[in-house]
Amino acid sequence: MADELDLLNNPSFRRLISRRSRWRWGFSGLLISAYLLWGVAGIYFPEQYAQKFMGSSIPIGLAVGTLIIMMSIVLSIIYVRIINRIESEESVGEEKMT
Amino acid sequence: MMPEGMNSTAIVVFISFVAFSLFITWFAARKMHSVGEFYTAGSRITGFQNGFALAGDFMSAASFLGITGLVFIGGSDAMLFNVAVAVSWAFILFAFADRMRNLGQYTFADVVAYRLHPERIRVLAAVGTLTVAIPYLIAQMVGAGALFETLFDIPYIGAVLIVGALMTIYVVFGGMIATTWIQVTKAVLLVAGATALLIFVLARFGFSIDNVFDRAAAAHAKGADIFRPGGLYKDPISILSLGLAFICGTAGLPHILMRFFTVPDAVEARKSIGYAVGIIGYFMVAIIIIGFGAIGLLTGESEYVDNVGRISGGANMVSIHLSRLVGGEIFFGLMAAVAFATILAVVAGILLSASAAVAHDFYTRVVRKGEISEQEEVTVSRWASVVIAAIAIGLSVLFKDVNVGVLATIALAVAASVNFPVIFLALFWKGLTTKGAIWGGVTGLIVVVVLIILSPTVWVGVFGNAEAVFPYTYPTLFSVAAAFIVTIGVSVTDYSERARIDRDGFAAQLVKSETG
Repeated sequence: MADELDLLNNPSFRRLISRRSRWRWGFSGLLISAYLLWGVAGIYFPEQYAQKFMGSSIPIGLAVGTLIIMMSIVLSIIYVRIINRIESEESVGEEKMT
Repeated sequence: MMPEGMNSTAIVVFISFVAFSLFITWFAARKMHSVGEFYTAGSRITGFQNGFALAGDFMSAASFLGITGLVFIGGSDAMLFNVAVAVSWAFILFAFADRMRNLGQYTFADVVAYRLHPERIRVLAAVGTLTVAIPYLIAQMVGAGALFETLFDIPYIGAVLIVGALMTIYVVFGGMIATTWIQVTKAVLLVAGATALLIFVLARFGFSIDNVFDRAAAAHAKGADIFRPGGLYKDPISILSLGLAFICGTAGLPHILMRFFTVPDAVEARKSIGYAVGIIGYFMVAIIIIGFGAIGLLTGESEYVDNVGRISGGANMVSIHLSRLVGGEIFFGLMAAVAFATILAVVAGILLSASAAVAHDFYTRVVRKGEISEQEEVTVSRWASVVIAAIAIGLSVLFKDVNVGVLATIALAVAASVNFPVIFLALFWKGLTTKGAIWGGVTGLIVVVVLIILSPTVWVGVFGNAEAVFPYTYPTLFSVAAAFIVTIGVSVTDYSERARIDRDGFAAQLVKSETG
């Protein structure tokens, strides 16, 4: 218990928390707002939603929806990589074990 | 609707799947020696395997059969669900994966009980788990019964009994080890099946996505209007509520949260959800294209769709009809069997999480306060599975004609309004107290149930009233907000001795949750 509370003031641990939460809330916010914007835009711009996307026959609304799905995948991959790197740079876990 | 002997492929594939799943169960039973192996497969599943299992837990028959049906009838609107699903899984990765894995052992209740009053909060978590799991189980089993009745002419009750008996065998004898491997097998089959269907469909359109959409607009009674946002796009509140139902709801599903603990550490937990996002995202895009392909291909085929656009066997049959049209009898049998295997694997996962809530959270931790041998806990879990399965079978037979969509909405909305707020605030807000969590959870549950009863789906659809008291299908915006407001309000005005312990525990929890 005392060890754990010491760790709270450890600068490496503080950096780990703040760096991780920056990505956590940044990516969550980005993705959820993209979804809500896309959804709400469908209500007010139904014509544009149904229009064809860049010369194809795919409706713009569906194309943007697909892009948001792809964005979820890409951000997930980036997140996993970044957090792994942050954890290895701020090697708090290992310090704690020793 | 189907000549005799046509379904032999389906029967062969289905029986092979059942035989294989029972072999896995037998194998798992031999390896199972501890509580940890029963609940979480000894935390030895790799991230890659668990990614498939997680995706399998989520890709139910509802998504494969339901969404293509939805596209067939309503066009673009279905995309609202598909995008919400992908976003919700990425959100689970960002917000929950690390901290949940580091804090928990078997169930999400372990996480919230880390600093809150362990017994009281586990009762809430067990109630939250069961009110999600039982409607979800019934929805899947009723769907399975209807599907089997249409496909193979097996009586409804027979299909429900088969599903019920198999899921009980998987869970009782094979625990999480068997459930995981059955889920992985099914996920691979489902993704492969959907990919094959996608290729067959695209082949009919000369592998041109443009042709898929052009033909859909030409074939559909509504013409190019099927691309316009339809009935789901009523107002911003509906969109917000639907989005929240998926984003918070998925993050509150007990059988999915339980999968975090089947991997050894947070690194693997992150990896597994990363894989799950990829698999689910791909699947969601594939079924949208399949759905629009179905409009172009099935319309006008009088064998499947009559001249007013009614689908033989109901909207859920669109993917199955399509498989037969583009792939012939053998492929049709294959896909029917895959759909059924999907249901089997999903119900096993849900049953296991429900029995963990009863046996681990309630009986072991609350009634016996942890004074119990491992052997006894596993025995209690097994009996809990049998009893819950019996209840689910009984209710599924009783409510044969229940609206499966309503049950699924209830399950997701309860997960979003009871489980999600408690977990979220326990992980990220120091001020949360036990009293606040319990008041908030109870508020979320009551608001959800009342608003669903007053909603168009139940008030109009079930009770037959002319107009709904509450105008939105998804109550989540209101129920989640109510749960958060009450939880925070009660927590900040909680001056009890327990509240001090709850708040003081946050520091140690933070360290553990960030470092493991």
